[in-house]
Amino acid sequence: MAAGVAAWLPFARAAAIGWMPVASAPMPLAPREKRRAQDGFIILNVSGTKFQTWRSTLERYPDTLLGSTEKDFFFNEEINEYFFDRDPDIFRHILNFYRTGKLHYPRHECISAYDEELSFFGIIPEIIGDCCYEEYKDRRRENAERIQDDADDENNKEGVLPDMTLRQSMWRAFENPHTSTLALVFYYVTGFFIAVSVIANVVETVPCRASPGMIKDLPCGERYALAFFCLDTACVMIFTVEYLLRLIAAPSRYRFVRSVMSIIDVVAIMPYYIGLVMTDNEDVSGAFVTLRVFRVFRIFKFSRHSQGLRILGYTLKSCASELGFLLFSLTMAIIIFATVMFYAEKGSTASKFTSIPAAFWYTIVTMTTLGYGDMVPKTIVGKIVGSVCSLSGVLVIALPVPVIVSNFSRIYHQNQRADKRRAQKASKEAGQAFLNKTNLSFEKEHHHLLHCLEKTTNHKFVDEETYEKNCMEVSSVNPPGSHCSSISSQHGLTSTCCSRRNKKTFRLPNSSHAGSLQELSTIQIRERPLISNSRSSLNAKMEDTVQQNSEHPYVTAAIISIRTPPVTSPEGNNTSDSPDYSQRNIVKVSAL
Amino acid sequence: MVGGGSFEFEGLQTIGIVCLVCMFLKLMHLLGLINFTDEDSSESDLELSTVRHQPEGLDQLQAQTKFTKKELQSLYRGFKNECPSGLVDEETFKMIYSQFFPQGDATTYAHFLFNAFDIDRTGSIRFEDFVIGLSVLLRGSVHEKLKWAFNLYDINKDGYITKEEMLAIMKSIYDMMGNYTYPSVREDTPFEHVEKFFQKMDRNQDGVVTIDEFMETCQKDENIMSSMQLFENVI
Repeated sequence: MAAGVAAWLPFARAAAIGWMPVASAPMPLAPREKRRAQDGFIILNVSGTKFQTWRSTLERYPDTLLGSTEKDFFFNEEINEYFFDRDPDIFRHILNFYRTGKLHYPRHECISAYDEELSFFGIIPEIIGDCCYEEYKDRRRENAERIQDDADDENNKEGVLPDMTLRQSMWRAFENPHTSTLALVFYYVTGFFIAVSVIANVVETVPCRASPGMIKDLPCGERYALAFFCLDTACVMIFTVEYLLRLIAAPSRYRFVRSVMSIIDVVAIMPYYIGLVMTDNEDVSGAFVTLRVFRVFRIFKFSRHSQGLRILGYTLKSCASELGFLLFSLTMAIIIFATVMFYAEKGSTASKFTSIPAAFWYTIVTMTTLGYGDMVPKTIVGKIVGSVCSLSGVLVIALPVPVIVSNFSRIYHQNQRADKRRAQKASKEAGQAFLNKTNLSFEKEHHHLLHCLEKTTNHKFVDEETYEKNCMEVSSVNPPGSHCSSISSQHGLTSTCCSRRNKKTFRLPNSSHAGSLQELSTIQIRERPLISNSRSSLNAKMEDTVQQNSEHPYVTAAIISIRTPPVTSPEGNNTSDSPDYSQRNIVKVSAL
Repeated sequence: MVGGGSFEFEGLQTIGIVCLVCMFLKLMHLLGLINFTDEDSSESDLELSTVRHQPEGLDQLQAQTKFTKKELQSLYRGFKNECPSGLVDEETFKMIYSQFFPQGDATTYAHFLFNAFDIDRTGSIRFEDFVIGLSVLLRGSVHEKLKWAFNLYDINKDGYITKEEMLAIMKSIYDMMGNYTYPSVREDTPFEHVEKFFQKMDRNQDGVVTIDEFMETCQKDENIMSSMQLFENVI
């Protein structure tokens, strides 16, 4: 719990005196307060740098090293201080966490050193405040990636393990051609055949000199059909053999089949086989010709040979969302301008803008500043629109280049910030749970305060589910009161009455104070389940005192079931006190 | 007809041109190149928070309240931690107080509390107000505490608690309970509660409760008297 809110609790409790004259029911007893010894100093000696703070400051977070008795292991009697042989610069931030409730990450510190200090002092990094959390996560990710890369390099540089199977060595040879001469030879041979195949595809369509006796120029593919066919067959055979070898050698065949490169391989060789199968059928020969287009995919096989291509592909993939957005905005602009253009040019005679889709072509050509001139506006409005279109086209088209080339990383983070924060929220929740291991006495006093409010108004706090149950079962015989009390008693009341801390969620009742102070709001979110559970569990014990004003006569059944749970905390004292208290006062409550 | 048609068309063209020009001007304005109105844009960002308050000396406060020096010191440390400027304004006060009642809406009651603490109606609670109020609540006599409570209920501080004032207070207390209560708070629950209160307190049935009636009734009620002692050990 942040220092602030805890400091104001005595004030809130004192102000509760304002409820006393209007209370409908007698007040519960205050929790017994240990007469706290006056807060003393504690000196922490971190490698010679002395830090001093109040003891109560450290006790705010009892789950950490400094907040618990674990620090006694570091107590040095000679100097009468707690001595830690750690980094004093980073310790400063850790101590500030106790003081202010917020953990900050200093940008100049190394991330792994900081992490080590945090884990030594028992503080989980998820509670780093929002101001520093993103930076921390980014640095951590970079570090992890760097370590991973180093590990991968190490793995790759490994010599041949003596007990590698043929299959594994084959796979290694395929993936890293530099490992052995055979692999290198294979690598170059396939590269050569890819090049040959691509060149053959290209040359096939060039018109060769017509053979004697023919008038028209034939494309070379038809003139030397046999030669090209043989070449194609040879290439496809090599590619097929390569694909099958890779398939055999792959450690995970399923994954290999699904990978991009293997799909490209398949698409590259399929047309040939389909063509073999379908040469006799005249109807589909047209489709077969189209299939040959897919042979151009063989050029993508080069990406196995070129690191640069792979990086380009990865870059495009990683800023896919920017590209997508760009495409979307372009489409919007095209549609807008095409529509305006169409309606502007509608009146002019012999207008080429016959429809809006026809105007799309004009818009695209204008926006990319190509300006073929096959479609030109004739009206004044059309010309104005056309000029605005080309001006905006320059803007819109010129945008992606700096985005992708130089700033893709920054824009990626900017666009993803909201998503990242949402994704990080889950781990932050874990951090909040850690933060809320609070002062036991604070909890007791807070519950006492809420209990006084209940007594003043003569209504009890219940949580959302119980409330809905009550609404639904108000006419049924099943006593809703005992329902919730028996549930809470079943869960077992541990030493704090907030046993079901994390299991219930609760919506914010009002938004006026939600989120304005970061620390307070995070506490608030957590407080809800605490309070709701404790309310119902306290209710379980105090049921006996509210019979007189209950409209349901069934509440009495609840008393029998709740006397039994063994409660070892001071709450237990309350339980034993309250029946007497209630007996004493049962007569008098009706006086109001 | 051709003339009419072309006139129509000319009209359309003119409208189109006018529209385009307007859009262009709007775009310029959007881009900040033209300013249509007299706007001063950026001065409002510079706001010096000059409001700061230092409390009176420790000795003076000790004389005015019933706290020991050490208690005052620890109170001030907590106060200063939460409000470094030394003043609590109503919004902050409402926010802090609402933290303790997450299930309901504590802002209305916090408003009344704020007015009860802010004795000289400055609109903000200084540390002196805070500590003087606490001194009454925690170390004062029962008579003083009851007087403080009466002051809380008497919203306009005229010395009489009317039914309307009491209803407002009661509603704000029930607001703090929130929606999820057992049994549920009905519309007229606060009203009934106020009726009960007035039946008890208003001796001469004149519709208002004066301080003497209040004191008299409270001192006769054992529950109230005992509950007044409840929070003595808070600090």
